[in-house]
Amino acid sequence: MADTSKTVLMMGNPNVGKSALFNRLTGGDAVVSNYPGTTVDYTKGVLIESGQEYEVIDAPGTYSLEARDAAEGVAVRLISENPDATVLIVLDATRVERGLYLALEVIERGCPVIIALNMIDAARDRQIAVDARMLQKILGAPVVPTSATGGEGIRNLAETIRKAQKADIANVRARADGRFDEPARSGGCAECGRCGGC
Amino acid sequence: MKRLSELEYGESGFIREIRASQYELNRLGIRMKKQVKMSTRQPIKGPVVVVVDDMEVAMGLDTAEGVVIETEGHEGS
Amino acid sequence: MALPVQERWDLVDAIARKTVTTGTHRQTLGDVLGDLTVRPLTGISVAVAVLYAFWSIFSSFAGALVTDGFMVKAFDNYWLPWLQEVWPDPASIHYFLFVGDPLAENCFEAFGMLTSGLFVSIGVVLPAVLIFYLMMTVLEDSGYLPRLAVLMDTVFHRIGLHGYAIVPAILGLGCNVPAVTATRVLETRKQRFIMMSLLAIFIPCGAQIGVMLEVIPETVGWVMLYLVIGFGIFGFVLDRIIPGSNPEILIDVPPYHWPLWDNVAKKLMNRTKSFLKDAVPFVLFGVLIVNVLYLAGIIGALADLLEPLFVIWFGVPKETVGPLVAAFLRKDLAVAQLSAIAMTPYQMITSVVLVSIYFPCVATFVVMLREGWKELAAAVAVLVATVFIYGGLIHAVGILMGVA
Repeated sequence: MADTSKTVLMMGNPNVGKSALFNRLTGGDAVVSNYPGTTVDYTKGVLIESGQEYEVIDAPGTYSLEARDAAEGVAVRLISENPDATVLIVLDATRVERGLYLALEVIERGCPVIIALNMIDAARDRQIAVDARMLQKILGAPVVPTSATGGEGIRNLAETIRKAQKADIANVRARADGRFDEPARSGGCAECGRCGGC
Repeated sequence: MKRLSELEYGESGFIREIRASQYELNRLGIRMKKQVKMSTRQPIKGPVVVVVDDMEVAMGLDTAEGVVIETEGHEGS
Repeated sequence: MALPVQERWDLVDAIARKTVTTGTHRQTLGDVLGDLTVRPLTGISVAVAVLYAFWSIFSSFAGALVTDGFMVKAFDNYWLPWLQEVWPDPASIHYFLFVGDPLAENCFEAFGMLTSGLFVSIGVVLPAVLIFYLMMTVLEDSGYLPRLAVLMDTVFHRIGLHGYAIVPAILGLGCNVPAVTATRVLETRKQRFIMMSLLAIFIPCGAQIGVMLEVIPETVGWVMLYLVIGFGIFGFVLDRIIPGSNPEILIDVPPYHWPLWDNVAKKLMNRTKSFLKDAVPFVLFGVLIVNVLYLAGIIGALADLLEPLFVIWFGVPKETVGPLVAAFLRKDLAVAQLSAIAMTPYQMITSVVLVSIYFPCVATFVVMLREGWKELAAAVAVLVATVFIYGGLIHAVGILMGVA
């Protein structure tokens, strides 16, 4: 928190409104459209929040960290090149599952994350309810409902960036199974046996 | 059991097996046990559009042939 | 630590079960439209209607309304006579460079930097790109492009691409520069290479189409037809020559939503700004360079050198060499120049097609280089072969039809 400038990398599935959110956060000019793959290169902008300067990077949309096309390749390269960055994961509230896959991959890499539950207005229109608090509890990282097109939750998101958290995937799994109060133990790790001694 | 490519308009079913491009399909929400509904099939070996979790996904015919569906009949299209 | 893929999906499901509840979803108008526009029967009719509307609004607004109705009058009746009057010394070099032909009666023929240069960029191309970008933004923001991609997939599949190649193709009709970068939506190097080559060769940019509509309105349809046919033929050939795989289409089809006015306005502003900043100086500078090359006798020498190729093989006058040089800087400029050369209508079609398919403009060239120099080198080789073969082919077709 004492660093002079921090990097915030925006990651998420294609067409979930990353660029629109980026423009809201930074006043930037990223091109926004309604088709997957609008952003094929990255755009940088600056956000100043509570005296802290953030360099925000809008990455091309990707479904996972294993790139399928060149645009996804750019996104994956960005996360490797910015190992200290806070990752702002943008989920589409109307299709949380797909975005969660990428979110878990990012969490597994050990990046501090914050989650924007974007298109929350579209989800409401479609009668889809997402329990942001529960999601926050399970992931162990802040979750902020937003609507980049409507402007909802943007301030809150900007203020919450500094609270980004690294999460431990074993704990995420424990909490997803309903075991909330058990603190993380190394024993939980040995149980799965696949983590290679983390 | 039918291939996804063989579903009629508006016919739906559950995914029982994904033979090819599983990884790519998974990323777009086409996963085991998911319910899918055929939305459209393009003529002359064109792509198909299916609905999964209320979202439309377009895929090539060969890809759709590799997805096995347990059908459950029509749901008025 | 990293989970295996399946476990990660299981965890996703577990989290989703605990956090997401879906109510009963009512079908909206957007959903119904979404269905209709992607079904073969209704979808193809809608696509034809959309593209036709796109084209007719584009040509009537840009060509007839703004350019003919206002710009031509303003430039030919006021700007040109005024410049010819106040600029000193009609016989001088600077007069030739900036004002051009002292006897010219319109801004196309004068060919000075401040006459033709300004007229082409501001009078003809600016209204064209404005209206083009406005319509393209509506297509982009509504969510129609992925549906168009589904409908076009069958066609694109035959040339080694898939439907989503429609995205760079349509962007390319605006400007090839962002379109080259947009080829990244395609999965394999082979697909990107095919698309990039076809883009650079066969897709004319909005600026060029704008000028074509203005100077050769009666034959622009033929030029477009030749370009579309060329796109098909050479795509088919490239698909068979180039090694690599052609993955099928696999995309999300997002629901429709209304374009947000703010976003449309913002995009339009940015695109217009970058046109004024990047393209206009290129046009002005292009006129200047071409004029200097004329004065230095270089274009004349080049024209004499290439005369056999042009006259015998392509069947066009040797004077078209000059515009081809200009085409490297800006295609719109080159087409404007061609219109001032005396030719038969078929020669005009041939030479405009040649200008389109011959070398990408310098800006496109630079972004192609950024995507990889090997690709660029290969694309240039493809291009040279294509220009030679297709140019000759068009000439041959003209001979067979008895019009060349």
